[in-house]
Formats: sequence, C-alpha cells, structure tokens
Amino acid sequence: MKALSRRSLLAGAGAATLFGSAAPARIPPAGISPLVGPGYRPVDADERGMWQQMARVEEEIAGSNLLVKDAALNAYLGSLIGKVGGPATRDLRIYLARIPEFNAMMFPTGMAVVFTGLLLRMRDEAQLAGVLAHEASHFLLKHQIRQWRDMRRKTDVLSFASMLGGVVGGAAGYYTGNLDQLAQLGTILTLFRYNRQLESEADALGIKLIAGAGYAPISMAETWEQLTGEIELSAAVRRKRPDRGYSIFATHPAPRERMIDLRASAAELAIPGRSYDRGRERYLSAIAAIRPTLLDDQVKLNDAGASQYVIQTLAGDGWNGLLRFYEGESLRLRNTPGYDARAALSYAAAVAYPDAPADAWRWHGIALMKAGRGEESRAALRRYLSLAPTAPDAPFVRQMLAS
Amino acid sequence: MPLRRVLVVALALALPACAGGPGGFGGFGYYSLVRPNRVIEVGNGSMAVVAPREWNRASRSSFSGIGAVEDWTLNGPYLDNVSFVSGLPNDKRLIRQEYKADRQVPRFRSTMTAPEIAGLLETLYRIEGGAIEWRMLSLAPRTFLGAPGFQYDYEHLDGDELWRKGRAVGAVIDGKLYLVQLDAARSHYYAAALPDFEAMVASARRRR
Repeated sequence: MKALSRRSLLAGAGAATLFGSAAPARIPPAGISPLVGPGYRPVDADERGMWQQMARVEEEIAGSNLLVKDAALNAYLGSLIGKVGGPATRDLRIYLARIPEFNAMMFPTGMAVVFTGLLLRMRDEAQLAGVLAHEASHFLLKHQIRQWRDMRRKTDVLSFASMLGGVVGGAAGYYTGNLDQLAQLGTILTLFRYNRQLESEADALGIKLIAGAGYAPISMAETWEQLTGEIELSAAVRRKRPDRGYSIFATHPAPRERMIDLRASAAELAIPGRSYDRGRERYLSAIAAIRPTLLDDQVKLNDAGASQYVIQTLAGDGWNGLLRFYEGESLRLRNTPGYDARAALSYAAAVAYPDAPADAWRWHGIALMKAGRGEESRAALRRYLSLAPTAPDAPFVRQMLAS
Repeated sequence: MPLRRVLVVALALALPACAGGPGGFGGFGYYSLVRPNRVIEVGNGSMAVVAPREWNRASRSSFSGIGAVEDWTLNGPYLDNVSFVSGLPNDKRLIRQEYKADRQVPRFRSTMTAPEIAGLLETLYRIEGGAIEWRMLSLAPRTFLGAPGFQYDYEHLDGDELWRKGRAVGAVIDGKLYLVQLDAARSHYYAAALPDFEAMVASARRRR
C-alpha cells in the first residue's frame, strides 16, 4: 500500500509540472470561427517572409525518403482533412512521415505533417478527423503568425529568417522523430509551442468542424484520454513520473484539462438522439496495408508500457491475430522468463485467428521449442515455412527443423 | 556497437577535451591504428582477429563502453563500422543504458536463438541508432569460431535518410555471445568493406 500511495503521489507531482500553468476558461465552440477564407495568402511582410521560409521547408519534407509513399493512404488522408478543414479545405496538404511517435503538426502555410505513430493509435476515422481538425484550426486561426508576433514582442529576435539561421533545433529539447534534421525543423517547432489559449481555440474550432462533418464530437476527448493513459502506463512500467520531454506534450500541453474541456464541448455540440459516424471500418481499411508496419515500428522500440497500452486500446474494439501477435512480441521483448511464458500464450492465441501473420507461427514455434514441446514446435515452424516459403530467415528455420 | 547517436555525444565531450592540445582530434587518442596481418585481440580479449589492411580502432569510452564490445572503422562510423562482441555473458547488454529509459534495449540471454539475437540487433538499432525502417535480408546457418552459428544480413533506413546495410556473423558458445558485425552505408561502403569483414570473420579465434 505504501508503494502504491507513493506512486500516486509521484504521478500527482508529474501532473503538476506538466499541467501547472493557470488555465484559462474553456472556449465554447459556438464562439469561435475561422479567421481565413479559401485560398488565403499572406499580405503583411512578416507573414510573407514566414511563408517563403516554409516553402523551402516543405520542399525538403516533400522530398524526404522518410515519407510513406502509399498513394491510396495519402489520398485518404487528403480527403479526410478536406472534410474537416473548414474554408481551407483546398489549401491544406498532408505529409505522412514514418516516425513511430504520437504527433501531428500544422505549418503556417497549410502544410501538415502526420507521424505514422498517430495512425497506429487512432481507433477510428472520427478520432483521426479530430486530430486533423485541431491541426487545421491552427491554420484557420493564424496561430503561428500570432505566436510569432507575440514572441517578437517579448524577445529581440530580429526576423523569422534570423531565427531559422540561429539555434539548432535539438537544443530546444523536442523529440520529433528524426525529421528535426530537415530544414532546422526543430527550431521552427518553437513556433508551435502554442500556449494554452491557442490550444483551447484550436480545440474549440476543431470540435466544431468535426461535429459539422458528422463525426462524433466526443472522439477528440477520447484521443487525449488515450494519450494520457499511454504515457502514464509507460512511466509506471519504468517506475517513474509520467513526464516525457520529447512527446507531443512539448507542443500540446495540458492534456488532462483539455480532455475535460473537450468533454464539455462535446456535450454542447452533440445533438441528442442523433447517431454520429465513427468510420471505424473505413479507417481500418485505409490503414490495413501498413497496420502491421505501424505495430512493428512501435513494438520494436520496446517501450513496454506504451506498447501494452496501445495494443490493449486497439483491442478494445476486438482482438485479432495481428494484435495478439504484437502483444506477444511486446511481451517477448521484455525479456524475462516470466514474460516469455506470457508471450508464448499470446503467440498461441494469435495463431488461432485466421488473420495471424506468418511471423506468429515462427515465434509460436520457437516458444514451443524452448518449452521442450518439440513435436508441436516443429509443426508450427513447418506451418511458418508453408505460409512464407521465401521468408528471408527460411534457411535458418529449416535448419532448426532439421536439428 | 556503432550507434551514431551515442557517438555524437562522445565526440561532443571529446572535442573540447583535445582543443589546444597537439594533433587535434587524433591527438586525443579516440582512435588507434590496427596494423594489418597481425593477430589482434578484440573486446575483452577473448577473441582475436587478423585485419587484411589498416583499420581504426575506437577506444571505449568509460560511460558507454561495454568490455566485450569493440568498434572499428575505415572511413568513420557514419560510413562503415565493424563491431566485435567477444563473449557477452548472459543477462548483459550490448550497450549501457539507463534503467529508466523509456525504450529498453533487451539484454542478451544465453538461451536466445538466432532469430532472437537478430531481433535484439534490430531493436538496438531502432532504439539507439535511429533506424526508421528495418529489413531482414537473410538469416541462415553459418559456422563461426568452429561452433554452429548464424549469418544475419539486413538493411536499414536511418533518420539521417541514409540506407545502411549490415551483416552479423555470430554464435553462442558456452552461453556467451560471440559476434562480428559490419554495418555500413549501403551505397559503396558496405561492398567496399565486406572482403575485409569476411577475412576477419574467417580469421577469428577464441582466446583463453
């Protein structure tokens, strides 16, 4: 009991530092509207300069080999931001970067970068639409230029360009996957450290946009709940405070308060008796081709608590062979005899599903072999080879069968 | 292990230390020369190899070094790197890591099979080496140090947008991991270092 109470105390302390700033009152969605119309172009000199710099950044990002090239998936993301982009529908572009982090960011010119780690964690289209609408709202409300002008008032940075030429991004302490090596993105991200006021505005407009598009407004609060839960479990497994310097928190503070505010806004917007779209099937079919990769990228980072939380959250909509297999992988990487036994159970459960990946049979076979169940092990490995006869490790597996 | 993020930290600390001293970076003694065609003990000395030409041997820094692991390079670790693991015991890591790190590189365990060791290397590169995409090219049986072992070929796209390619040849002997690994830029450098790597693997002997 003592350990438990100390841990909850630590969690409380972590919450205080993360969410410590005095929060302004919630902004009701009814009271906020876009500041830009379709085809917006900057007029003021400082904003034009910012757009010029951003055009160069976009050129670099667009040519990065870290982007996911899947044409159908990119088209899907483009159409989705089109649904919730308000008047800027035609002005927003999305780039999908292969970075296993929960993050998305909007640049002042209407370019959005979404990390694959975000797609992994979304349970349905409504949740993803909520994140995209929130990011679109930063553009619609001209947040970056407002933030920049505010920063200039407070500091002696001469121009946007001089700031870009200055500090190295990493020094700001953000973790942006590895995109921060592109065009000093890390520096640019200092502009995205939106304050609570701007975040509240983007939440208010974002939730209004998704409700207008027919998505369940509660989905935005759920997303923040999932993020908070993941970070808390990740920290709990490592027995430390849930305070990660490199997460989405760096650019999007105070998730717990926002969750509460978003719940209140959702209640305001939801029309009783109306059935809202979640688009779960549509979403799953859009990401189907890369879902194994998304899971693989997350699980192999061996952040045990985060992976466990993500897999269990996704499985809240139903277990399948893929999720059971990656549950097994996550447990195996915890690398102790106790977890080995649990991993073996997950592999055994995974192969019972028709959608079990071939890899599940290999690991099931290896787990059985280690448990001294030779005959069953060989059967599982043979099944692996029959499903994946040209697998790159087939020669080694054949030798395991022969010995 | 040739982990570039770790290396950058090492250099950041090393450079100020040698500023003003003679010989610049080299004068600090971060690398020493490996003479060709001589038997060289690597790691903790339980394995020895012969290099067919001159290589540069990285000194182990006290904070990231693991006794059983040693790194060599021809053109600098961003371009090519050979790592030797000379008998890593059960329950030890290939790299030093904080207990509270969110992302944990698994420890080696004597009971690991080759697919698990291959997975261990992948996880190491994803966590500490900035690998974004990882492809197994092949995993096949291969005798190493006279013991039944494996050869693991792979390639990976890293955060610096460069594709790298690697080969690890290893075996678990008396419960300890013995491994030689080449990891180099996929274009040019991998192929250029591969003959040396194969010669070193063929020359590898256990000591003591």
